[in-house]
Parts: sequence; C-alpha cells; structure tokens
Amino acid sequence: MQASFLFNHGHHSIFTAILNGLSIGSVYAIFALGYTLVFSILGIINFAHGAIFTLGAYFSYTLTGGAFGFNGLLANASLPIHLPFLFALVLGSILAGIASVIVERLAFRPLRKRGADPLLTLVSSLGAAVVIVNVIQYLVGSEIYTFPSDIYGRLPASINFGTVERPIAIRTVQIVIFSVSALIVSILTYFINFTRFGKALQAVSEDAITASLLGINTEKFITFTFFLSGFLAGLAGTLVGSSVSIAGPYFGIAFGLKGLGVIVLGGLGNIPGAVLGGLVIGLAEAFVPADYSGYKEAIAFALLFMMLLVRPQGLLGRSVIQKV
Amino acid sequence: MTMTAFLETYGFLIVSMLLGALLGLSVYLPLMAGQLSLASPGFYALGGYIAAILSTQVFPVTEGSFPLLELLLEMLLAAIAAAVLAIALGIPVLRLRGIYLAIATIAFVEILRVLALNLEITGGAVGIFGIPQPFQSQIGYLWIVVPLLGLSMVFLYRLESMHVGRVLRAIREDELAADTMGINPTHYKLLSFVLGAVLAGVVGAISAHFLNTWNARQGTFDASIVYLAFVLSGGSRTFVGPVVGGIVLTALPEILRGMAGISGLPIWLAQFLQDGRLIIFGLLIVMSTVFLPPRGNYTRTVTTMAMAKAAARQRETRETREGSD
Amino acid sequence: MATGIIEARMEQHGQFPLLEVQQVTRRFSGLVAVNQVSFTVAQGDIFGLIGPNGAGKTTLFNVITGLIPPSSGQLIYQNQRITKLQPHRIAAKGIARTFQNLRLFGNLSVLENVAIARHTHRRSGLVQEILRTPRAIAEERQTHLKALELLAWVGLAEKAEQTARNLSYGDQRRLEIARALAVEPRLLLLDEPAAGMNPNEKAALSQLIRQLRDAFNLTIVLIEHHVPLVMGLCNQIAVLDFGQLIAIGQPEVVRQDPAVIAAYLGKE
Repeated sequence: MQASFLFNHGHHSIFTAILNGLSIGSVYAIFALGYTLVFSILGIINFAHGAIFTLGAYFSYTLTGGAFGFNGLLANASLPIHLPFLFALVLGSILAGIASVIVERLAFRPLRKRGADPLLTLVSSLGAAVVIVNVIQYLVGSEIYTFPSDIYGRLPASINFGTVERPIAIRTVQIVIFSVSALIVSILTYFINFTRFGKALQAVSEDAITASLLGINTEKFITFTFFLSGFLAGLAGTLVGSSVSIAGPYFGIAFGLKGLGVIVLGGLGNIPGAVLGGLVIGLAEAFVPADYSGYKEAIAFALLFMMLLVRPQGLLGRSVIQKV
Repeated sequence: MTMTAFLETYGFLIVSMLLGALLGLSVYLPLMAGQLSLASPGFYALGGYIAAILSTQVFPVTEGSFPLLELLLEMLLAAIAAAVLAIALGIPVLRLRGIYLAIATIAFVEILRVLALNLEITGGAVGIFGIPQPFQSQIGYLWIVVPLLGLSMVFLYRLESMHVGRVLRAIREDELAADTMGINPTHYKLLSFVLGAVLAGVVGAISAHFLNTWNARQGTFDASIVYLAFVLSGGSRTFVGPVVGGIVLTALPEILRGMAGISGLPIWLAQFLQDGRLIIFGLLIVMSTVFLPPRGNYTRTVTTMAMAKAAARQRETRETREGSD
Repeated sequence: MATGIIEARMEQHGQFPLLEVQQVTRRFSGLVAVNQVSFTVAQGDIFGLIGPNGAGKTTLFNVITGLIPPSSGQLIYQNQRITKLQPHRIAAKGIARTFQNLRLFGNLSVLENVAIARHTHRRSGLVQEILRTPRAIAEERQTHLKALELLAWVGLAEKAEQTARNLSYGDQRRLEIARALAVEPRLLLLDEPAAGMNPNEKAALSQLIRQLRDAFNLTIVLIEHHVPLVMGLCNQIAVLDFGQLIAIGQPEVVRQDPAVIAAYLGKE
C-alpha cells in the first residue's frame, strides 16, 4: 500500500511532503520544547502553553500593524506602527514570554509555595488558559485573522525546487518556518549544553532537591524557564499563524494538546526528545493521504497512545526504575 | 414568580447543574483510587452518540413524546458500551501512573473526537440533529436526572463507608503497600475506572436528548478539565465535593449573566459580566485552586510529578541498589 | 557450610521448612544487591537478618514479597514455588510484612489501616456491600472487631480513630505490625521494627514479638540493626554483607564468626 501510494504521487510529491513535514514538525518541536522545559524542572504540564501560543500570534499580528475586526472591545483598532515581520515575531514572542511569566506568578507559584497537590496546578493552568482565551475573545472577537501577504517583503510566494517541466513548488513561508525553527533549535542546543543556565537546567531536571542544595536559585530559574517557554510558544504561534491564519482565540488549544503527543513521543521532560518527537509527528502528518486527511489530527494522539503503552519514557527517555 | 414559572425559566440551568454534578462524580470515581483519568468526556460523547443514533435512526418514529422506556434502554446500552470500552482501555492504560495516565486518557478523548468528526454514522462535523424529546419541557428531565443523581450518591455513600471504598483509598494512599496486604490494585483501579466511565456514558445518553443535538464538540478535552475542576473545587475527599462543585461551577456563568441584568450597574460592568463571564469563570478556577485551603496531603499519591519523582527515583535507585538498609 | 548447619538444626528440632530461599540473586543495572543467597526458615523460627548498610536485606524482603522479581533463583514457601507471583498473591498465601520507612495509609484512621489488611479474608463483594446485605454488614462488624483485637495486641486500641499519620513514630511502627497481622500470615517479615525506638520501647517490642509468635503461631523473619536485640530474640541469624550470605546459624555461633566480626568491625 505504501509503495503504491508513493508511486501514485510521484517522487516530487514525496519531496514536498518531506519538506512540509519538516516545516510543521519543526514548529511542533519549538512549541514542545517550551512544554518540556517546564516539565523537566517542575514536573508539571502547563496547560496554558497552548493559550500562550495563541497570544503570541495575536501579539505579532498586532505589531505588524494588522487591524482587528468588528467584534470585541478593540473592534477596528490597529497599532499606528507597522513593524517588519521578523521584528514583530521577536517582539511578539518576548511579550508571550512575559505573559507566561505572569501566568507562572499567578497560577503556579502560589501553589508551589504551599506545596499543593500538583493536580491542582493542572487545573489552575487550565484556568489560566480559559482566562487568556476569553480575554482575547473579549478584546478582539473570534474572527479569523490573516497576516498581510507581504510580510516576507520581496520574497516570492513559493520557490521552485524542481525543473520548469516538473516543478516542485515549496511555499516560501514553509522555508522561513523551517529556517527559523532550525535556528532556534540550534541556539537552544548551544544554550543548554554550553551555558551556566543550561547546565543548571540539566542539574535541576536531574534532581531538583540536590540542585537547590547546590545553590541554584530555583525561583529566578523557574521564572526564566517560563519566560523561555512562553517565548518559544509565541514564536510557534506566530509562525503557524503566518503560515495559515490565526483561527480565533481557541486556535492554540488543539495545538497545545498535540504538543503533548510530541513531548510524550520524545520522552516527557527530554529536550532532544521534543525535537525528535516534533519532526516525527510533522512528517507522519505530512504523509497522510489526502483521502484520509480528516484523520490527520488523530495521528499525534495515536502515536502518543502507542508510545505510552509500549515505552512510557518515550523514544529518548531513560527507563524509570520501578518504585519499591 | 411562582414555582412552576421559576422551574420553566431555569429548567435548562437546573438540569445542567445536576448533570454537572454527575459528571463530577464520574471523574471522582477513578480518583478515589488515585487514578487521574480525564477520559470521562470520551465516554460521555460515546453515550451521547449511542442515544442520538438509536433515537434518530434505529428506533421507530413515534407520535408525541419519545418513549421513556426507550430512553432507559439507551441509557443501559450506553452504560454497557462505556463499560466494555473502559475495560478495553483501562487494562493497558491503568498501568500508567500520574500524569502519564492523564495524558493517555486525553489522547483517548481526542482520538474519539477525530473519529466522531470523520465517521458517517456520527454525522461528521455537523453531528446529529433533532434528537427527540421524551418530555414536554426541559425541566421534565428532572424525572430522570434526580433519581440518577440520588442513586449515584447513595451508591457512593455506601461505597465509601464500606470495605471497597476503604480499599480504593488505600490504593490512592500507597498502591504497593496495599498490594502487599493482599489487595489486587489492578482489579480495583479498573473497577473505579469502569464505574466512572459507565456514569459518564449514561449522562451522555441523557444529555443527547436534553441538548437535542450531538456533535464532536460534546465531550472534548476542555470539558475534562472542567469536570476535574468540579471535583477539585468541591473537594476530592468525599463524593459530596464533586456534587457541590459540579452544581456551583455549572451555574456560575449563568449566575454572572444574570447579574449583568441587575439594574443600576454601570454599563461597562454589565457588559463585562455578560460578555466576559468566561474570563471570570477562568479566574475563579485559578483562584479556587490557589486560595482554597489544602485538603489533606494527596501530593504523594494522586499524581507522581517529576520533581518529586526524579528525586525519589534517584533515592530509590540508590536505596534499592544499596539494599536500602 | 551454611547448609550443613541448617540440616543439623532441622534434625535437632525436627521442624519443617516454611520458607526456602534458593540461590536468589537480584541485580540493579550491573550492581548485585543480593548475590546467590540461600537459607531456610523453619516453622516457629524467629529468624534474624542482619548486616551492614547496603548489605541487601530489604532487597531480599522485596524479592520475597514479590515487589521486585529476583534476577535468578527460587523462593519456596510451604513447598510451593512463589518466585514469580504478584505481591497480593503472595500475601494471600500467608506472607505479610512491615516496611522499614513506614508505608501506612497516612490519611486513613488507625482502625482502617488494619481493616484494609483483612481484605483476603472477606467474602462479600461490591454488590453485597452496596446493597448492605446482612452478610456484608456482619462481615464489616467482624472486620472491625478483629482490627480492634489486633490493635489491642500492639497497644493502640484507644487510638483506633486517630489518623495514622498523626501517630508517633513508635506507634506507627506498632501499627504496621498490627496491619501485617491482620493478613493472618504464617510468615511475618519485620523490616527494622525497632528503628527509632528508645531502649525501653525496644525491650517491650522484643517481648511483644515473642508473644505474637506464640499467640498467632507465627514464623518471623526480622531485619534489625540493634545487635543485642537480635541476639536476645532470634534463634537463627543470617548475616549479609555486600549481598552475600557470610554466616548463618545460632546467635552464639554467628557472634564468634570471624567473617561477621570483620564485616562489622570494618564498618563500625
């Protein structure tokens, strides 16, 4: 079946599928990195991560000078400035990072200070997501927003990787997404392996108690991790939003759930695992035949499910010794 | 306002509140044994589709109201289907602990949702419309929902005060210790998981009629966290918590909407209460978790989170290696 | 050598072996926590398992109670192989234990902690309990009475309604013993039952253990650090060091064993 599928579509289509898969997979990867960073140090799933993703997309959209629609408190408003896309991307993601720090202060820190059940954190982070989503809706309504088509300046809409007779057109936006994501992953890899912060992160994710005994300032460290996590979510949100559109305030929730698939596949709390998981799921989705595209959304969850049953620690996780 | 008029006006809300209480209980049941399962919305959706399909496509069309007996039959079939699916799902996933179980059940709910969106029998993205009504008005559903909630509460009260309830709490406290006392944890975890699933399935079957329409937006992931919020805001130590939590939290957005109608409020506030009520709802979820007094220590047992876990794992690895004496 | 002693003793007392540990080894990622350990516990023994920290004593308990499978070797209990059984199956066969780091059901009452361990002796199930059948109610009453009786044995009867985690350390240790007794074991494994107790409490515990053995017809294996307590209480002692059995026999024999002296003097 696989072979006939490949044959029918021809090799140029495989090439396109791989590039599309890598492109979306790399966004999954940077999004999931934010998830997994928080999990690796706190052992909690931040369900507000998907909402921060949405928020980042809206921030960047606003910064590029995009106008809002007819609903909500900010109907028809727009900023007087029109930042170039790349600036808006960075600034919007920084704002998303700040929002993530605020969520940490309000929904996570009080519970942590009290030593509360981590289960409550799950719920409070979802409460934070409900707040963010509905604030967005209250302010700008639930319309779909599309980034201006000229965000990449004079770059063509697509680039032909094939020949004139057999064109393999790849949308420029896919290439931009892949490049930005690859850049971010490289920077993070450097950051985690070669900086003080990164070493501290590894230490904390190995053993939080010992790390705090070693004098790592846990609170400052957690704040920064949440900033970084939110920044990555904002980046991912903007990239996805610019590639398709911002599909309303709930835009990030489904993405957030899929992100769970990514981090479980690679290994919960495992940083290289998040990248691998993102690429695997992106590629798997890209190869879903058009006739079954309705089931594409289930791939991440099916992989997640199978991974949990077969190897709960994920592709790159270490096995957990049974508790006695 | 007379009693009848009050019931007519708030019929939808009152029934919804009681259904909320039942859904809270469906999350609470596995939690009694320490299992954080977010699968309830999946079983709820399943039950709803069973009722929707049977009543619109299988059962013969009847004059007047939809026969109550057929509704009860649907509830029974929903319960059986939920139980079968819960056993098939529970046996593999209940080996997982803490957040891993939660995530696996989220995946289950999402897979069901995608199936519902794509299958023909579930009506695809549009869903199923015109599900027949067994009662003249929505308040009539109290005839079904009140006895069901009453029975569930009696069931849980008795369960909690007898040996099986004690066993479930022991597993929640320390599964391995319970195991060495002769209790088969898998058996009881599965039991509480299946009971929760059955309840959710039955509620789904009622809700499909009650809401008149059923689609893939019923019983999604956000719903599972809302149910969990029912349990946690009310308290997860006894079954009363989820009942109260389900009732109050379901009513909350409507109460806020009602408050917006109070005369004399500044326009901006009235508008905020009206349009921004879900913001307040979210804030209350956050605040109820942040400010509620801690109810005993379930940290150690309900969810094993990586921070505690990583430390424990290391300690235990060391201990078991060293023989821990 | 070790086997020789056991056979000699068995002939001497004419007792039946209750638990046979045969060549049991347990490895943890390369480290050998228990290495080829064999011994036999005879019915009615109070059998001491001693050794320096990290000798593998608790690991051995975990293997016997099914919490961790052995990497190799066999466990024979009442002439039946129990090597690969799950913990609750082993408990149902009559082996109960306490835990070194206390694993009570902390948020449950003292009475409930003991009542839970009556599990294997209850006949009525969920349905009877929900319907409150006379049998279920009678059984519940019996469970309570039995639990209270056992609590009285360990001196906790008047604290039955307290929450377990609010008990003092010594009381928690005694509660663990009562909970294990509720399983109605023939073989009781006690993991450092005297840890954290003062000398008076230790003496009382020593007395209690002997009384329990006689009253409930028990066979007891205990891990203990306090050497005088072990020497005074046990009729058989096995010494583990780095996972290996270095001596086994009666207290006075073991006390003079050069390997034991070396192991202990080397450490302490």
